[in-house]
Amino acid sequence: MLQATNLTKRYGRLTALHDVSFSIREGEILGLIGPNGSGKTTLFECLGGVLPIDGGIVLQNGRPLTARDRASALFYLPDGIAPWPSQTVRWALEFVQQFFQGSAASAALSLAPIPSMADVVEQLDLEVILDSTIEALSKGQRKRALLAMGLLIPRPILLADEPFEGLDLRQSRDVAETLRMHAAAGRTMFLSIHQIGDAARVCDRFVLLSGGRVCGEGTLPELSALAAARSGSAATDDLEEVFLALT
Amino acid sequence: MKPFFVLLRKEWRELRASRAWWVLLLVMGPLVGVSFISAVRTYAEASGLNGTAVGVGEAFSPLVGIWAPTFSACELAAAFLLPFVAIRVVSGDRQSGAIKIELQHPMSSFARVGAKALVLLGGWLVASLAPAVAVLLWKSYGGSIYAPELATVVIGHLLNAGLTIALAAAMASISDHPSTAAILTLTVTVGTWIINFVAAIHGGVWERAAAYTPTAMVAEFQHGLIRLDVVLIALALVLTGLTLAAIWGRLGVAVRRRVFDSAGVFAVAAAAMIACTFATASWDTSESRANSFPEADEAALERIREPLHIQANLAPEDPRRSDLERRALSKLRRVMPALQVQYVSATSIGLFEQSSQHYGEIWYELGGRKVMSRVTTVEGVLEAIYELTGVTTPIQNGAAEFRGHPLAVPPNGAATVFYRLWPALVAGAAFFEFRRRA
Repeated sequence: MLQATNLTKRYGRLTALHDVSFSIREGEILGLIGPNGSGKTTLFECLGGVLPIDGGIVLQNGRPLTARDRASALFYLPDGIAPWPSQTVRWALEFVQQFFQGSAASAALSLAPIPSMADVVEQLDLEVILDSTIEALSKGQRKRALLAMGLLIPRPILLADEPFEGLDLRQSRDVAETLRMHAAAGRTMFLSIHQIGDAARVCDRFVLLSGGRVCGEGTLPELSALAAARSGSAATDDLEEVFLALT
Repeated sequence: MKPFFVLLRKEWRELRASRAWWVLLLVMGPLVGVSFISAVRTYAEASGLNGTAVGVGEAFSPLVGIWAPTFSACELAAAFLLPFVAIRVVSGDRQSGAIKIELQHPMSSFARVGAKALVLLGGWLVASLAPAVAVLLWKSYGGSIYAPELATVVIGHLLNAGLTIALAAAMASISDHPSTAAILTLTVTVGTWIINFVAAIHGGVWERAAAYTPTAMVAEFQHGLIRLDVVLIALALVLTGLTLAAIWGRLGVAVRRRVFDSAGVFAVAAAAMIACTFATASWDTSESRANSFPEADEAALERIREPLHIQANLAPEDPRRSDLERRALSKLRRVMPALQVQYVSATSIGLFEQSSQHYGEIWYELGGRKVMSRVTTVEGVLEAIYELTGVTTPIQNGAAEFRGHPLAVPPNGAATVFYRLWPALVAGAAFFEFRRRA
């Protein structure tokens, strides 16, 4: 579906991303795993057009995508933001729905059916906070409200930065279930997750990022085999062990 | 609904959620009130209220006596309050992170900034209801209103607000933090005052530049003068500010590219502004023809085809020079666009040049003929020109002379309206607005 090749991002002398390459397949949930400071957010901001890329290209079916093309193919949901803090959740959801409605999706990418606001509100358990202002929400509530915005925006690929951050166990499971449901309906997900347990629960494939470099890409068995080959030990189905072995 | 209108509606909602805007609204009433009440009192006294001697006709022009001081409150608000409202609206999205969501819409950055600017202008118009109330009060007192001159004052302040919005938007986009944007905006504002100050001392190029500062622009509009070059330059500056805001709002574009684009915008804007200075058309909308010679004189002057050259040996800070410039030469330039004026002085204050042989002389030259005069009044300047050109001094039409509109009425009820009713209404509206959201 999409292929990133040799993406590089520098902040002055510091190189945050070194020739990062990976691919996103249609309808999958791809997990971007890495410790804090590994470049996950930088990679997402570069893909989302919020930060300029210093090198590399993003291809769609072999055709290079400009930043503008990318904007119509994917939507990046940042972590740690509280957009329009003095407005209510209801208003914010209606706003993103109306604002992004009809904004062109890439013709070559199939667009999953856009869920109704009522469905998303129900799936993410937002009824009780619909009339609360965004600044009044707790971290977990804000995260769920943001996810709802992301799901309502008509883009084939959703990039969500730390979608489980601030959620308790029950909420994490519910959100993972919701994301899986949308992926099953055709929406492609690329999730940046630093809690490996959360990633293992929800993702189909993984991109391991450490120090701004990709250390591995594939399904858990593929990564496990790669880790075993590198370390010379037996393969394991524990993603944490695989991650430690590869990074 | 088109995305631009969705955004426009969102910006309007965000403006209503901004405390800075409500503070601007709250302060606007008393600010206008102080100016209006004081102006009406002075006007009434000049008109003979409480047994004072009646003044001269010019003092009875509502443009000078009422509108200029009343609307000066808008100038104050535009310089010190409006920038904070604009910065809040532009920086708010960056601070909350909303910009990272909005930026992912394919809409152009200029359209996004345009929506904010339109809403801010709308917010300013709401704040301008305070001077509008002053107009209604004046009418209720039986005061005279001459629509063209009042409209000119309103247009001047609207342009000034546009300049403030564009400047604040540019600074808010360029800087990462609202407080930095506020400092930069006020620095530019103070910078224009410094230009005015330097112009008063050194004259020359500074004097020309000072004619296009917001303070000078507003002053001309407040005197009922619309100069095409001033309007065009103000619009060019507004467009430049908004374009810079749009360029720096594109977070996904490399900083080097944004700097390059900004340099291009500056170059184009500078060229456009220099071109605008050649526009000489102007309109005197004042009822008293405050910016024009009497009609008979204008007709006589328009018949002079050769270029007139004036050399005035007066220092920039010499009060005679400002008299000559303000009362005579500014009017002369409107009738004779080819007029060339040269000021000559060795010092800025002229105090120690008084004894020099030619100081104070004003030389008029036309077609090789020269005439010297030391008079700086309108009559003196016209007399010298007529003598030089051999034109007979035209007979003035006394009936057409502006006699003024004296009004010896105190500002009854204005204090209640501006100090009690206005703040109560604004506070009430703010209360309902915030309670609705809570």
